[in-house]
Amino acid sequence: MQEFFEIAKTDFLATFEGAWIFWLLLCGVVWILVKEKDQTRKLLTGVLPAVFLFLYWCPVSGILFMKVLGENVYWRILWLILLAVTIPYAMCLALGELQGVKRQGAFLLCLGILAVGGKKVLSEEWFEPSTNVYKLPQNVIEVCELLPSNVHVMVSNRLMPYIRQCDPTITSEFGRNSLAYNGKEDSEEEGEKLYLEAQKEEIDLAVLGVLARKEGCTFLVFSNNRTYLGDWADYGYREYGRTDEFVIYVDEDYKEGQDTRKWIE
Amino acid sequence: MRLEILVTMTIFFGGSLLTGYGVRRLLRFRQEEGMLFSVVSGVMAWWALMEAVLVPMTMKHAAFQTFSRVYSGLVLLSAAFGLCCYREILRDVRKFFGEARQYLTLGHLAALALMLWQLYFLHHHMYLEWDDTYYVNLANEAVRSNQIYWVYPETGSFGDFDKRYVLSLWPVFYAWLSGFTGVVPTIMAHTILPWVMIPLAYMVYELIGRQLFEEDRQLQGMFLALAVMMHLFMSGEHTAGLTFLSITPWVGKGVLATVLIPMLFYGVLRAVKSETCQEWILLGITCLAGCLLSSMGIMLTPVFVGVAVFLTAVQKKSVKCLLGGIGACAPCLVLGVYYIYLTH
Repeated sequence: MQEFFEIAKTDFLATFEGAWIFWLLLCGVVWILVKEKDQTRKLLTGVLPAVFLFLYWCPVSGILFMKVLGENVYWRILWLILLAVTIPYAMCLALGELQGVKRQGAFLLCLGILAVGGKKVLSEEWFEPSTNVYKLPQNVIEVCELLPSNVHVMVSNRLMPYIRQCDPTITSEFGRNSLAYNGKEDSEEEGEKLYLEAQKEEIDLAVLGVLARKEGCTFLVFSNNRTYLGDWADYGYREYGRTDEFVIYVDEDYKEGQDTRKWIE
Repeated sequence: MRLEILVTMTIFFGGSLLTGYGVRRLLRFRQEEGMLFSVVSGVMAWWALMEAVLVPMTMKHAAFQTFSRVYSGLVLLSAAFGLCCYREILRDVRKFFGEARQYLTLGHLAALALMLWQLYFLHHHMYLEWDDTYYVNLANEAVRSNQIYWVYPETGSFGDFDKRYVLSLWPVFYAWLSGFTGVVPTIMAHTILPWVMIPLAYMVYELIGRQLFEEDRQLQGMFLALAVMMHLFMSGEHTAGLTFLSITPWVGKGVLATVLIPMLFYGVLRAVKSETCQEWILLGITCLAGCLLSSMGIMLTPVFVGVAVFLTAVQKKSVKCLLGGIGACAPCLVLGVYYIYLTH
């Protein structure tokens, strides 16, 4: 029970913090309940959000929802509260009582209240200027422009989530599930060993080079601030190209245009 | 890219408009619904149709191209059926232009300005979504490998699919849509879909406004503008549903939170008012459409419709209303049971 309330509280605050939206919602619900004459509208715009709010905080329904949806995404129950219906509707009910210039002035005031009371979504906090039509980080595009198609790669974690969005013909040695290896000291499993070695500031090529070839990684892409113990040539790799942030190594046996994907349908 | 955006918008809104007229004719809706209603009901019909076609085809290991041909054929058929309603379309077009001046209200103009600002900003900015490596690549893989969901999207390896998502393969929709312009699904998702989803979401709010303020165009416009404003000034982290329309309008969950749940509200509002069979069927179509968007949709959709209809049925003391609601939720309940069977 204690755990339920903690999750519910955390999710609730994460949804409503930093703005007056929740208080506006409460005021809106009360206003609708007082002012709306049509019972069905009153029910759907005023009572319904209050019921969902109750179901969210009620341990019985809440624990049931958590079991069905999963604890990590319990906050999605709050999507059922239609903020963009209840709050504007309550405001419009009030505006409906005015006429002419007074109504228009009050409308602009309402817009102002929402702007001041809310947190700007279209801000640099969440967005960055896009520099390419894929809307992916430019360093990913630069690497993709150098890499040939239909090859198997192991890339820096910074590139891993994006590389196949840019060129889906590439197969990647690791996906996000490999992040679970982070923090492990050592491993017996070769895939894990390869991943863990690739994360080090100083990479031991006696470990990485051998394992990467064994796993069929034709191309390796690392941040250019990494240092290496050993010589790439001793392990069958050579430098293929570089961008401002990354260095690309290639298997010496690779022939231009060769299909080295690890999994071919 | 402007041309691709324009072509996609034309296909999406033009096609769904025609399908919507087909749906209206088929369900015998009254004549005065207007073009906006046709567009949104057409979109719901497209998504519901896709869910009905895609789930069995995925299970049967059908190729993506086969799916694309079957689905395109069905969409084309529904649009052709809608084209038969050319009299209604012409009447609505005339009515639209005849009434256009009524929509020149302060509210509508403010809403339009805010929406254009949102689209302009999003067109020139990007939001990096961590889950895209799974979902967007799912669409990329469908196009590249011609297989639906049999390749692990993050690496390109083969494996049994993750059963949690198999009933809600929304990325396949934009993989299909990308075929019309030849752009890769990544570009379709990040650059083109916002131009489709954002207007669609606000169309739903315009329709809700028309239901709530039937006689007052000014208040309809003000309601819309305030609703748009709420999408632009929200609270908290990006867990708030409304924020998704700006940050990830291509993600199924985002579309669920910002287009589908308001559409369910609109559907319930109409259905409990008239309690006619066709309204419940349209609500059922919307519920099925919700299942395509996200596995969360399979669960949240019946919760929303169930609670809303139950409350109204109690208030109206109407068994018919309750039965209508249960009927509308039936597609989600069937898929929900199947989901539990698959995941346990």
